Amino acid sequence: MDLMKIFLVAALINNVVLMRYIALCSYIGMTGDVGQSVGMGFAVTFVTVLATAATWPIYHFILLPLNLTFLKILVFILVIASLTQLVEFYLKKNIPGLYAAMGIYLPLITTNCAILAVTFENIDYGYTFIQSIVYAISVSMGYLLAMILLAGVRIRIKTSPIPKFLQGTPILFAATSLIAVAFMGFSGLIK
Amino acid sequence: MMKQFAKLGLILAIFAAVACVGLSFVYAATKDPIEANKTRQVNESLKDLFADADEFVPTDVLSADPSIIFQTAYQARKNGVLLGLAVKAAGSSYGGQSVLLVGTGLDRRIVGVRVLENKDTPGLGANAKNASYFVDKANRITFPGQFAGKVVTDAFEVKKDVIPITASTITSKALTRIVKAAGDAAAAWIENAAMLAPETAPETAPEGGK
Amino acid sequence: MKRLWKIFKQGLVFENPLLMLMIGLCSALAVTTSVSNAVGMGLAMSFVLLFSEIIISAFRKVIPNSLRMPIFIIIIAAFTTIIDLVMQAYFPELSKSMGVFIPLIVVNCIIMGRVEAFAYKQKVMDAIADSLGMGLGYTWVMVGIAAIREVLGNGTFAGIQVMPDTYQPILFFTMSPGGFLVFALFISFNIWLKGKMQKAAKAKERA
Repeated sequence: MDLMKIFLVAALINNVVLMRYIALCSYIGMTGDVGQSVGMGFAVTFVTVLATAATWPIYHFILLPLNLTFLKILVFILVIASLTQLVEFYLKKNIPGLYAAMGIYLPLITTNCAILAVTFENIDYGYTFIQSIVYAISVSMGYLLAMILLAGVRIRIKTSPIPKFLQGTPILFAATSLIAVAFMGFSGLIK
Repeated sequence: MMKQFAKLGLILAIFAAVACVGLSFVYAATKDPIEANKTRQVNESLKDLFADADEFVPTDVLSADPSIIFQTAYQARKNGVLLGLAVKAAGSSYGGQSVLLVGTGLDRRIVGVRVLENKDTPGLGANAKNASYFVDKANRITFPGQFAGKVVTDAFEVKKDVIPITASTITSKALTRIVKAAGDAAAAWIENAAMLAPETAPETAPEGGK
Repeated sequence: MKRLWKIFKQGLVFENPLLMLMIGLCSALAVTTSVSNAVGMGLAMSFVLLFSEIIISAFRKVIPNSLRMPIFIIIIAAFTTIIDLVMQAYFPELSKSMGVFIPLIVVNCIIMGRVEAFAYKQKVMDAIADSLGMGLGYTWVMVGIAAIREVLGNGTFAGIQVMPDTYQPILFFTMSPGGFLVFALFISFNIWLKGKMQKAAKAKERA
């Protein structure tokens, strides 16, 4: 089924972090522990889907007919920034526990490359609204998976003897390199 | 309090307005070169495939496969006589949509394939567009180049009669599908055209392509 | 003048955005599969960074604190759109091969980060020095990584064949795991370089 294919390609075969290098800032910064990663992953999923639901109609029903497509970058990023703000306000008021737990990650979601990339690609690939939503969910799931994987590996790294020249961030990238090799195995999933 | 809000709102609006106005100027200035780039690429590829043609008449060809879109087709004509049909076909490849220009001759052979747009991985699938990447190193044949001379009724099976790009089976299969669909449709169109207007078709088939 | 030079130098090694500050990674690794892409991205990013820092520093007294994020975004997005349109018009091949990463410059953490931490608080000349240093620091790393990945992974440098014909390209380097690994080694190299430079500076002070 077409939607299933979009999901598999976006989440696994063409994983947004491991195969396409997108959203690395948060990937390195937010994988200190598994809980953090899961929280960030879900927050990103939520905002990405909302952003898609907002930007797709804006592009197709406002920008395109009015010949304002050159405002795409400006409008999309403002939509994402506003959505993130709204999510922050909503959480602060209604789910303070979650808000406190998420802390500084929330504003950082605005600059998460993956979200903006998804909104652009929905347009570039010519997806329908439903396809865009599926794509948004799939990419976010792939992001969540990559985050959890690295968080798990980092726990191990803390107690392993790392050679001096790789200590600090280099070992994280070396580990990511190996995870990426594993993900390359997925490329045979789709004929 | 309201006055504060209003002032903030105004400042924001001014910045936004200046930005939009500035952008519309840049957009207006770059619109024509961007359009020109798009048409130039297609025109150059058309001339490349059908060097003898002196005009290219845009035409519509329908695609039997809903996942492959024929954006447009061009009849390659010389002195009004049909030389072949070039189909600009778009289909999904590994990293997004890929657009190919497939030229088919009157002898139902592919004249040549040019990759107009490809968003696959550089170093892998994107080598379909790389003029110095050879799938057949000994004969220096590129991936799209291998289709020249193939009859449209061939199997078009990757790894059997089509050489894939190393480590890029998905791209190779996707592009092959597009070529086959375009070739089939073009051959059918040419046969139709020959039946309807035999005087515009030459008596002998032209030489094979590139 | 000396102060400007010092600000400029920071971005090259000590506070290299990619290797030390770990920001702006998003677009960095993806475009390092070829040297021409890396140069293009480096220049595009530097353009947006430079002009964003200039405008925001010039108008810093006028931008209210509570509105600074949306206004930063508007300015950065505007310059990103400009470079995107200009590239599509005059460098179409490069624009196509970089794809979605040019528009992604707008969320490049480097620009957001420097604008917030530096341009909003400093004078225009300082902001210019900072943006040039950061831009150059970003570009040299990108080109360095791209050079290794393209030469080893494809046998070419900026599209020119440099390895002998018999060289079998090591595809690993053009693919994502290779990118991560080369990046890891670059960070490692930069940490070592920083250590050496700090030792040299200390020795100079003592002398």
